[in-house]
Formats: sequence, C-alpha cells, structure tokens
Amino acid sequence: MDMSQYKALFLSESREYLRTIAEQVVALEQSPGERSAVDALFRGAHSLKGMAASMEYGDVVVVAHSMEDLMARVRDGAVPFDAGVADLLLEGVDLIDVLLQDVEQERPSTLPTGDYAQRLAIYTPAPPKAAPADQAETQVSAVEAVPSPAPTTPAAAADIAPPPAAEAEKAKEPAGEAGGTVRVKTELLDHLINLTGELVTNKQRLLTIAGELASPALNDAISETAKLLRSLHDEVMKVRLMPFEAISDRFQRSVRSVAKKSGKEIHFELTGREIGLDRGMLEQLVDPLNHILRNAVDHGIEESGERERGGKPARGTVRLAVTRDRDRIQITVRDDGRGMEPATMIAAAIAKGILTPEEGELLSPRQALMLSCIPGFSTAKEVTDISGRGVGMDAVNAAIQKLGGTLGIESEPGVGTTITLRLPLTIAIIHALVVQVGQVKAAIPVNAVQRTVELSRRQIETMGKRQMFQLDDEAIPLLSLNRVLGLPLGRFPDGILPLFVTEARGRRVGIVVDRLLGQHELFVKQLGRPLSKMAGVAGGATLGDGEIVAILDLAGLL
Amino acid sequence: MTPERLLLFSAARQLFALNLQEVCEVMEPQQCYPFAGAPPHYQGLINFHGNLTALVDLAGYLRLPGRPLPGKILVIDTRLAHLALKVDAVGSILDAASITGASSHEDPLTEALLDTPQGNVRLLRLETLLTGLEQELQQNAPNNAKPGGT
Repeated sequence: MDMSQYKALFLSESREYLRTIAEQVVALEQSPGERSAVDALFRGAHSLKGMAASMEYGDVVVVAHSMEDLMARVRDGAVPFDAGVADLLLEGVDLIDVLLQDVEQERPSTLPTGDYAQRLAIYTPAPPKAAPADQAETQVSAVEAVPSPAPTTPAAAADIAPPPAAEAEKAKEPAGEAGGTVRVKTELLDHLINLTGELVTNKQRLLTIAGELASPALNDAISETAKLLRSLHDEVMKVRLMPFEAISDRFQRSVRSVAKKSGKEIHFELTGREIGLDRGMLEQLVDPLNHILRNAVDHGIEESGERERGGKPARGTVRLAVTRDRDRIQITVRDDGRGMEPATMIAAAIAKGILTPEEGELLSPRQALMLSCIPGFSTAKEVTDISGRGVGMDAVNAAIQKLGGTLGIESEPGVGTTITLRLPLTIAIIHALVVQVGQVKAAIPVNAVQRTVELSRRQIETMGKRQMFQLDDEAIPLLSLNRVLGLPLGRFPDGILPLFVTEARGRRVGIVVDRLLGQHELFVKQLGRPLSKMAGVAGGATLGDGEIVAILDLAGLL
Repeated sequence: MTPERLLLFSAARQLFALNLQEVCEVMEPQQCYPFAGAPPHYQGLINFHGNLTALVDLAGYLRLPGRPLPGKILVIDTRLAHLALKVDAVGSILDAASITGASSHEDPLTEALLDTPQGNVRLLRLETLLTGLEQELQQNAPNNAKPGGT
C-alpha cells in the first residue's frame, strides 16, 4: 500500500506528540510524582511508536519503543522520574526530530540511533549523594516550567500551580475532524493570504483611479470594499495564527540546558503560551528568544552564593511572558539577576571607540542600555561557551526589526533586566512610509518611523564632522538615505529637507530623503534568490499604481 | 551531464544555453522598477505573476559589452529563484541529441562549451550564477554608514 499520501499527516502529528512529550518531561521535573503526567508521557511515546510502525519508519519505532519502555518502568515504580530519565527522554525527542527531518526530505536516516535503546533499557538512577543540605541546594540545577492556561500578570504567575499534566496533554491531542476542525495544508493558507494581499494591492489601485475620476459612487463602493477586505484579512490572519506553545518547549529546554551547564538554580515561568502569532513570524522568533533567554541565565542571573549575599533567593527567576493587545504582540523576558548599569555601558562604549565621551554624556539611561545591541559591544567579564560574550544582541535586534517589531531594554542594577519585544500581529500586510530617493521609491515600515520632519537648513548645526538638529532638546544626527544607498544626493532648492526620525544603534537619527510620499498599506512579498541575500531590504510590495517598491530594513541598512 | 533539452539565447554577441527545465517563461520587455543599493546590472524589479522578480542584465553581469536592443526576458523557474535575465534574443530549443561535441571551460559559470548546429554555445550553471549574484549583493552591502552627511 502506498503510504506516501499519509506522510504529511504523520509528520505533523508526530511533531505534535514530540512537543507534548518535551513539555511533559520538563513539567514532570517539577512534580515527579504526578502520576497522570507519567501516564500521559507513556501514551505519547506509545502513540508515536504506533504511527511510525504503521508507516514502516523502523528507526522511529525503535526510539519511541525504548522511551515507552522506560516510561513503563517509571509508571510501575521500578525507576523514579529523575534528571537522568528526563535527559534520556529529551535525547529521544531530539533523535526522533532528526529522523522525522530525514523522512520529510525522503533521504535515508542520517543519524544512527546507536546505543540509545540499550542505555534506556539498562538505566538505573544514580545513588543520592550524601551532601549537607546547604551544599546540595547549590549543586542542583533545575528549571521549572509553569504552564498557564490563561493570561495572567507575570507577578501572579509565580503563585499559580501548574495544571494537571494530563489535562494539558489532553488539550494538545492532535486536532481531528470530529471536533469541528479540519487540517489544512499550510500552502493553502499561504495562498489565501497571498490572494488577500493581492486584493489589498488592487484596492489601492482602485483608490488611485477613483481619485482621478472624482466619482462619489465609486468612492463609496471602494470604501465598502475596503471594509470587507479588512474583515477578510483579519479572518485569514486568524487562520494563520499558531499558539506560541508551538515553539515554547524549545525555550524551556534551552533554559534548562544553560542552567545545568552554568550550575545555576533557575525557576522558569512561561505565561501566554496560548497566544496566537502569525506562523511566519513564530519560526523567526526562535533564535532571538533563545539568545535572550540564554543571556538572561548565563549573564543575568548571579551564582546562588552571590544572590544570597545580596539578600535574594538562591534560585533565580526568568519569566517569559506573551501578551496580546489588539493587533500587537508583546513578549517580555524578565530576570531578577544583577541588572545592567547604564554608566558601565557608556564607559565600555567609550573604551571601545564606539562613542566619544561627549556623545556618552548625551545618552539617556535607556539609550545607554541599547548600546548592547551594537555589533561587537559587550560588557560581559567572561566569555562562556553557553551564550557567548554578549555577541548576538545586535543580531537579535536586527531580527526583531526585520519582523517589523521593536526591542526595548529596561534594567535596574541589582534588581534585574526586562527585555521587551513588541511585534505586529502579522508580517504580511503592513503600513509603510513611502519615500523618494533619487530616481527610486522605497518603503519604510511605519513602526520604524518615530516621526517625520521638514527641516529648514537654518536648523542644521555642524558638530565636528557631523550635521545635527535639535528635536525635543536632543541633538539628533542627520544621515542621507541617498548616501547610504549610493544614490546622488538631493539638492533641496527651497531649503527644506524632508526627513524621518528613526532609532539606530540605540539612538535617534534623522534620515534625510528627497521627498516624503505618504503612508501606504502594503502587502509584503518576500524576495527570493538572489535578492533575499541583500542587506537592508526586508521585501517588496506593489503600490496602487502597480509600481514596485523595496521595503527597507533600516536595522540592516544602518 | 548535459540536460535533455536546452534553451538557446544570445547576449553580447555570444550564444548561451540554460537547461530548459530551469526556465519557466520567455517574456517581452516590460515595465521594470529600479531599486537602490544593488550593482548596475540589476535593472530593477518586475512583477511576474505576483512574484517580485529581480531583472538582471546578463551581459552586464558577465562584464561583456551590451547591445542597445529591446531584447527578451528569461524568467527562471520561480521554485529556484525570483530572477529574470535580460538577454538580446532567444533562439530555439536544442535537443541534447543534436550536440556534436562538448568541452569543459575554465569559467566556473560555464558547465560546458557545446558544439551545436548553431555554433559554440556556453551552457550556464544556474546555481553558480545565483550564488555569484548573492555573493555580489553581500559584498555590495552598505558599509556601516556614519551619521552626519546630508
């Protein structure tokens, strides 16, 4: 029998089971005695094995079978659920994940399962070490995941008991058609959003024509069409939303792994796992969030002894919270670690030649903290193999800006740091400021634009080699977008320079353009090879008159 | 290995070929919208059935003297790239059986130099072309522009 037609379904369901297993393992580490969770893990491995067997994927069967056997021993009380069992099960999840990738790519297994089955079969827990109680605390590295089924404030989340693991597992059973839901291929969803985007583009075209014809009846019809399109767009976007939990298990595991390596005690809380995000955005959030979390554990949280000397609990807390406010998503990573000192950041930037002492004096505390997003900037005293040496916050910032979002840092020395990502609900349709530079037009997502200004030449001051202007009592440097893009510079015969203010490298910058052409609703299209490799371009879009513009990624450009 | 069928075309008075399976459409010149920050042989973006596609003047990329012809546009299979090549003219489809000889060529972009009834033809390696275009864009990236110059 040809089973290939069921492959996509098998992969999708297997990955859901893997995600559930990984979440349950991390949750069980907190409550090892939770019988229902042990049963749920056993069933997860059993179901996975059964599906793989029916598809004749032998390697997956072997690994899942070993996991099932180990869980049976835990269930029967022969083996306690300890860190060793958790490690083995998570290793199995990773193994199967790689095997599924091979299945997806239709290639032979690239990963030998080796002695995995044998190690599970002979696993016996390590005898407990006889250590004084006060020392035992500092030797243990643990992560606790607190799943929260309903939105809550981060402060309250610490007191919420985790829901029964079996209930959580039940909620994550792969959706079937019996429950009034139906599986839809992601390509179809992409096609739907594509069509909706094309309709938005055509609406802009109709608006342009209506403007030329000056027909009230046509204007009314377009206005009504615009409302319907907005509804259609909202509904299609809802279909594309996936809960944050689709990626959250990786964060639990990542924090667990860093905590273990660095020998720190970490309490990890996750709230808002049910919040839906555009599936195109979810995958692109994995690396930035992983980086922020690993930094928080490795550099933010102090050693237990240091914490206790500072009057803090020995166990550090890292909270990852996702919330939604209408059409914006907010993700915060908050730790109660050592925090960051703005003056130290400024001193480090001056020492590295990134800032002059005069420029350093002009920076607000918030701007000083954002210095950590400049490439190569780091104040970490030690390089570790866990999260590097602050390397990568620039990449994190760039990735968030590429998604049309912003990154903010708040920190209080000795109290902790909060990193906040604010993201649009969708990356498919955005509002953008269209500008003229030389002979070309370009679009800048409005969330990267703080304000637009028409500046008289008289308002420009020269400080050293730099040209600046005053805005809200702050000296803002000017930069020509023409120069950045290698285009001839504008002339401005009337003495007025159009510009928009944005933030680059932690401080505000005025970007001068030839003309500001207004705000447009754009359907963002990704650029394939070779332009996808072009720095500073986030995609392209078609204006109402059919003209194509590149959407600039200012973080990549500046 | 030579593909079964090749699409012959010319640019800068030279004959080239691509694997026919790598080309999805041949078009007349159409409205193209310039964009900034790319080398001059990027003529702009065209809308190919909803795909925003980079139009590259092949002769310009190969640093060969261009000709003032309206030319044709070869659109590469959209599953492989969003790229269209502006060439001078498009000839026939050549069956592999009609190739009378093939030799290697030192240029990594050229898969083989083919002897055909139409003359010598450079069979292009699409992957090498794409990689070359990508590397060029990365090298051409804005170089940390410093604030201050208007």
